[in-house]
Parts: sequence; structure tokens; C-alpha cells
Amino acid sequence: MDILQNLAFGFEHALSLQNLLFCAIGCVVGTMVGMLPGLGPMATISLLLPMTYSLPPVGSLIMLAGIYYGAQYGASVSAITMKIPHANSIVACIDGYEMTLKGKTGLAIFTAGVSSFIGGTVAIVVLAWLAPMLGEVALLFGPADYCALILFGFMCMSFVTTGSLLNGLAMCLVGILLGQIGTDVISGMERFTLNLVFLANGAGLVSVALGCFGIAEIAKNLDTRAERTPFNGKIHLMPTWPEFKRIIPSALRGSAVGSLLGILPGGGPVIAQFAAYAADKKMSKYRDEMGKGAIEGVAGQAAADEAAARTSFIPLMSIGIPENPVMALMMAAFIIKGIQPGPNMIAGHPDLFWGLVASMWIGNVFLLVLNVPLVRYWLSVFKISYNVLFPSILFFCCIGTYSVNNNVDEVFITAAFGLIGYMFLRLGLDAAPLMLGFILGPMLEEYFRRAMLISRGSFSVFIERPISGTLVALIALFILWQIVSFALKASRARRTAPRPG
Amino acid sequence: MIDRNLAQGLCLAAIALAFGLSSLLYPIGTLKRAGPGLFPLIVSSALLVIALLSIARSRFVERQPFEFRLKNIVIILLSLSAFVGVSKFINMTVGIAVMVFMSSLAASTYSWRRNLKISVVLIAVAFAFQRFFGLNLPLY
Repeated sequence: MDILQNLAFGFEHALSLQNLLFCAIGCVVGTMVGMLPGLGPMATISLLLPMTYSLPPVGSLIMLAGIYYGAQYGASVSAITMKIPHANSIVACIDGYEMTLKGKTGLAIFTAGVSSFIGGTVAIVVLAWLAPMLGEVALLFGPADYCALILFGFMCMSFVTTGSLLNGLAMCLVGILLGQIGTDVISGMERFTLNLVFLANGAGLVSVALGCFGIAEIAKNLDTRAERTPFNGKIHLMPTWPEFKRIIPSALRGSAVGSLLGILPGGGPVIAQFAAYAADKKMSKYRDEMGKGAIEGVAGQAAADEAAARTSFIPLMSIGIPENPVMALMMAAFIIKGIQPGPNMIAGHPDLFWGLVASMWIGNVFLLVLNVPLVRYWLSVFKISYNVLFPSILFFCCIGTYSVNNNVDEVFITAAFGLIGYMFLRLGLDAAPLMLGFILGPMLEEYFRRAMLISRGSFSVFIERPISGTLVALIALFILWQIVSFALKASRARRTAPRPG
Repeated sequence: MIDRNLAQGLCLAAIALAFGLSSLLYPIGTLKRAGPGLFPLIVSSALLVIALLSIARSRFVERQPFEFRLKNIVIILLSLSAFVGVSKFINMTVGIAVMVFMSSLAASTYSWRRNLKISVVLIAVAFAFQRFFGLNLPLY
């Protein structure tokens, strides 16, 4: 009953004309930018974060959340129609594009839209039910537990996003070190500022995000000079009843998988899509058609994608620890608005929490109503040449950086991070874990110093407490598993390698 | 050919050493009462270990070429610098136009007509931001 009352309270806030407008703008902008190659949710939120400074807190967060799940949906549309692989829509390329080749683009887009709606709806119920409960558990966490939880998150995230624990962890650590630039809050001493006045407050989050995800991506796209052919096929949206019946079980399965994987550290939409696709390949009645343009291949992953995008808000809003880089950016948006996500957020800002939850469902409806029937118009985005697009993205980078402190010199910092981000791209190092490390680094330092102070400098505090002890054990097991699997792979490669002579 | 895996390890080691050695310039303190240098020293030490592991790993995995194309990134960085300079000494309206015309040198084709149109639209967007979002842009 409490949940229903709270949701009603949330809808009261989310259904105000102003918040509806912010939600619609978020969904539309997110879908549009999400369709463009090289501009996923990370880049979109980074670009538009400074634009929300002058907006009210609830409205701006509703808009940013809309951008996030709108971008997820937009990415799947471009994957289905043109096989443009975004990092977050690789699975949609498999069966979705096969359906396009068979002339079933409309059905694939309808399936993705309806499944996303189902996934989003299930996830919102999970979010409304679980987040307050988890918030109460979070009150039991001490500094050592938070420290261990952040490290565990780094570990999972590093492996999931980059596929290489070493590379991912290295980027997390680089992010933590970059987060150390500026004034130490405890001693008041400036660190790593090179005596530059504008670095006394540290490198700005917006500069780091825009540099690594905006400028570096532009340079990479210009290097490849990839040409795109706009989609010109026919689109018939409405499915037949037997086709429609195939969508529902798969979408429900995907919703369950996505809702669960969205909550886990390191989880999120990408891993949820793969897991849902694997589940359908094992459990679906039509598993033989998977990979050849099966409806289930689109429905399950689309539902999992949207469900995970929404439930990944649970750790952020209830514990205060983001479990993927997009959530880390959302956390930054909360902090900029003067709201500290965590166990006290639900009690302290119920209008914001329940308004955001309700707006996610409204956003779901917007995505379905606005995007599915209007998909042909959305596809015209691809007709914009990259030669026109990239100076516009640079413009948003400049205005975005400037508007943080009304200081044009900060564009230099963004440019410097653009160069660093480009170098990392060329080295094959993913900048996403860097972002997570950059945002969580100062928090990790604070908890670490507090834990050490309480334990009088003894590391045993991380093992003695049950929560941190369990997490540290999991971290150790994970590292051990990685070492063993590397050793096994190396010895297998040596055995299979042709011997000279 | 420069091996990308080796370059990865060397680059990470350089970052670790730069931060690690600099952190020694600040008071380290003890674990119980940590100084401002302790935490970055621990993190950069961990990064150095990973960097060394990466270097060692590069000997066991297949070599990959490391490509770094300077032209486009340099053009973009110069156009951003020009935006800063012109915005400071003239105004941001001219800065936007200069940025568009300079950055387009990295495009596959160059057209001053197209650049003019993009500049006009972006300047209009900047004025809209100033008016409707309340951004304090020095446009004139």
C-alpha cells in the first residue's frame, strides 16, 4: 500500500506541466542523439549536463534520466535499421538487422518499442519496491564497507566494460588519480595543480567527460571517415496476432533478467542484453530462429536493456554508489543540484525520488507514443552529414564547458582531456572506467581515511566487518579466477602453437 | 611497428610515476593519520604494479600496431584554442564562427558556404541559450 501511495505522490509531481515538458524533451533529445554513431548516453549526458544548471532540480534530473533511457532506445533503432553498432546496442544488431533484411523493419521496431515499455514498467515496480528497502540496509554500512563496495564496483565494472580486468582497473586508477587534482579537503593543501589557479578546485567533471567522450570520439570518427547510407526501406508497424503473442513471454523474461542485472555492481544495460539474449536462446520455443531474424531476439534484449537502465538507479539512489559510468554522471548531476544520493535521499527528498520514479514510467509512454509511429522521421537524423554534425558537437562542448563557471579558459582543460581521451582510445583503453574512478575517487579517499582513523591504521577492519569482509573475499576470488584463467589460456596457446621443425 | 600492448603498459607506468613521485612532495603521514600524499601514493603504486603486469603481458600476447593520427586531433585542439582566444579578446559570436571554419579543415570536404550556414545556426542557438536558459554567454 505504501508503494502505491508513494507512487501516487510521485505521479502528482511528475505530471506537472513543467516536469512533463522536461521528460518529453529528455526522451526526444536522448532518442535523437542516441541514434547518432559515437554518441551514446555518456556523451549525451555530458554534453547536456551544463544546460540543466539553470533548471529546477526535479525537472533537470527528470530530463537527464529521460535522455539516458531515450538514448538507449535510440541506439536500438539505429542498430535495427542500419546495423550501426553502438556500445549499448550490439545485441540489437543481430536479429534486429536480420529482420530489416527480411523487410520486417516495422515489426522489429514495434517489438523493440513494446518490449522496452514492458521492461521499463517491470523495472519501475522493482525500483519502487526495492530502493527504499535497500536504503535501510545502506544505513548499516560503515566507512570500510563503503570502501570495499566501491572497490568491488570498480572490479566488476572494469571487467564488464573492457573485458580485461587489468585495463579496466588501470583506467579506474587513472581516474582516481585525476580526481586527486585540486585542494585536499582535510589538510587544505593543493595537490597536483602545477601552480595553476584554475586547477585549485580540481579538473571539472564536465571537462573530463566532454574531453574523453566528446572530443576524443569526434577525432576518432574523423579518422575513420565512415560513410553511412540513410535507411530508405518500407516500414509496416503493426504485427499480426501470432507475432504479437511471441513478443510477450520473451519481453517478460528480458525484464526479469534486466531488472536483476541492472542492480548488480558492474551490471547495466549491455550485460543485461547479452544475458537476456542467451536466456532466449536456451528457453524460447523459437530458439532455432535466433540469429536469423527472430522476434524473440529483439524483444528479450530490448526489454532487458530498458529494465537494466532503470534498475541501475537503485544502487545510486539507495546506497549512494553508482554502479556504472552513466550512473556516476547522474550522481554528479544530483550533487550539482545539492542533493547527495544515498540512504537519506528518499526520506529527505521524497518529491525528487518518487517524482523521478513516476517520470520514468511517463517517459516509457512518451518513448512508445512518440517514437514508434514517428520512426520514419527519426531516421532522417542519419541524413545529417558528419561534416555538419561534428562542428556542432564541438560547439556544445565549448558552451557546456564555459557555462560551468563562466570561464572560457576551462575549454583548455576540456581540450587537454580530449587529447588524453584520444590517446587512450588509440591505446585501446576504454575511458568509461576512468569516469567512474574520477567521480568515486574523492569518495573512496574519504572513506579510506576515515576507516583507517577508526581502526587506528589497521587494515584488519576490512576483514573483520561482515559486509566489507564478504566483499573483500569476492574481490580476492575474482582476481584469483582471472589469474588462473590467464595461465590456463597461455598454457593452452603454447600447447597448440606449431613447433619449429 | 610500435606494439600497442607495450605502449599501453609504458603509458600507464609513466602516469603512475608522474603522480607517485609528485605525491612524495606532500606530507605522507601514517595510516592512522593520513597526510595528503598517502592516498595518491597508494593508488599510483597500484597503478604501477598493473602497468608492469601489462608490460609483462605484452610479451605473451599477439603484437598489435599502435596508430596515432595527429592531423585531426591537432586541428580540433587548435580550433578550440582559437575559440578561447577570440572569445576572450573579441567576443563569443566571432569565436563560434572561427571555431567552425577552423575545425572544418578536418572534414572530408571543405565548403565555406556550408561553414557559414553552420555558424549562423550555432550562433542563433547560442543566443537562444542566452535568452531562454539564462546562460551568461559573452556573445557581443
